[in-house]
Amino acid sequence: MAEQKQDEHVLEQTFQVKGGDFIHAGEVSSRIKTFLKEIGVAREIIRRAAIATYEAEMNVVCHAHRGTFYLAIAPDHIKLVVEDEGQGIADIELAMQEGFSTSSTAIKEMGFGAGMGLPNIKKNTDDLHITSVLGKGTRVEMVIFTQQ
Amino acid sequence: MGDYFHAIEVGTDKCRGSMRCMRVCPTEAIRIREGKALILEDRCIDCGDCIRVCPEHAIRSITGSYEDLSKFKYTIAIPSPSLYSQFGIHVTPNHILNGLKGLAFDEAYDIGRACEAYTAVLKEYLHSSSENRPLISTLCPAIVRLIQIRFPDFLGNLLSLEAPRGIAGSDKIRKAKELGIDPKDIGVIYITPCPAKMIAVNQPQCKSDPNLDGAIAISDIYGLLFSSIRKLEKMEDLHLSSGIGLGMAVSGGLITDLEVENAMAVDGVKNVMQALDDLENGKITNVRYLELWACPGGCIGGPLAVENPYLAKIKVAKQVQWLGRERKISDEEVDRLREYLSCDVQLRSHSLKPLGRDAVDAIKKIKERESLVEGLPRIDCGACGAPTCRAFADDVIQGRAEILDCVFKLQDKVVESSQYALSWARRTPLSFRKRGKETKQMK
Repeated sequence: MAEQKQDEHVLEQTFQVKGGDFIHAGEVSSRIKTFLKEIGVAREIIRRAAIATYEAEMNVVCHAHRGTFYLAIAPDHIKLVVEDEGQGIADIELAMQEGFSTSSTAIKEMGFGAGMGLPNIKKNTDDLHITSVLGKGTRVEMVIFTQQ
Repeated sequence: MGDYFHAIEVGTDKCRGSMRCMRVCPTEAIRIREGKALILEDRCIDCGDCIRVCPEHAIRSITGSYEDLSKFKYTIAIPSPSLYSQFGIHVTPNHILNGLKGLAFDEAYDIGRACEAYTAVLKEYLHSSSENRPLISTLCPAIVRLIQIRFPDFLGNLLSLEAPRGIAGSDKIRKAKELGIDPKDIGVIYITPCPAKMIAVNQPQCKSDPNLDGAIAISDIYGLLFSSIRKLEKMEDLHLSSGIGLGMAVSGGLITDLEVENAMAVDGVKNVMQALDDLENGKITNVRYLELWACPGGCIGGPLAVENPYLAKIKVAKQVQWLGRERKISDEEVDRLREYLSCDVQLRSHSLKPLGRDAVDAIKKIKERESLVEGLPRIDCGACGAPTCRAFADDVIQGRAEILDCVFKLQDKVVESSQYALSWARRTPLSFRKRGKETKQMK
């Protein structure tokens, strides 16, 4: 669920990502990067945000029908909530392990689905919550602090 | 950024504000003001894309002229490897070097020697270093600028290695000793396919002390050189090097010589920006060497090159094949030139300033811009003098433009004020007004 508060210091944006749309994957990440550069966030943090967002986009593209990205950039942190409609994750703990992947062979052949998506998000965020309903979809909420 | 040298300028006498440059500029560095193109210096990377499209040829490269040669006692021409592909297929590098010498140059440098040394050292480095991150080629000065402005994160990935043109320039110290004259009296002039190489003359990215004294555009010297080559009767053996490294005139051409796995070549500023964006996202991984070129096709596609770049590409391949891949310069010479290869310039970030005083202020401005964009027609008509509606909104929040500079917004305003005027025009004079209304209106 998107943050409902209309804080004047928070930049809120919503993006739609379609499952299977490999071409446009990365657009949300690029937009977030541009914003963060304009705000003057430290480069290392921008790099982390870019990787985490891109992995989240790829998760939707590879595993879901569609996903909505709710972005909230506050002066001291970035919060990204991704809600997708898709197959859901059966065992979140297992999915968090490096190398675990349920991607189809076709997707693996394209060089994706190495089982690094969620571990990579975990590594590059400061706070991560994942909830999932099998057969319905997944909600990923991540926070990155931008003030060192 | 006053300390930032630019190799491109707008000839305001010729410019009539056609907007083509503004639309094509990959870093959105051009605006139209007072009917003329205006370059935003902090965004321009000197790629020269604007030069190619200007219908009035109003955008000039700040390269030198042939007359400048008289300033020096002794002049050395250094051809860009791309110069070798600018003439007919039977015109060899040796013809070109002799042709240059037939002009006012005292000497024409066999750039192939520097290319061989560069290739040998780079190859050795790539094969010995176990670094994980991709190393980015610094052969194209416009790309180095792009990274300074837009992708400072990758400054550390830039190869700290002088380009062959710089190696050739460094050799003048030895030459001066040989001739017994002051190195200052030797003019090392690069024959360039692009304006960006003027950066190597005025604000070098490797050696703090410039080793090139000037650059002349291929397009400016072409006619003279062409007739000089045609008039050649006898030739000296000026070209003694192999084809190693000469392929660098074409995007990806050097990679064959480096024999490095997972090397990637990208050409054209927009493609390069996309590649660097992918690299930031972690989409590009396992790349060892990244060769990036601002010009489509590499240096042969330079805005100051003359020959059709696709034809030039064929010629480069043929020449490399014909000259062979057996190194001609000795190990001793590689070692001697190696000294010229290391850089002492620390490349700094020139990233665009944040939008606000602090994060709170910047976020406020971004929100303001995003809502402005929403209200704009978003057809990027350009009448406001900005390349896109988004860039215009950016100009507005940064005080470079006003919202009514958008013709659509202006029209809305005209409609609004006309309606206001109309409401007054329809006001019935008191003598005709129905009774009962006057007291209210007269108040």
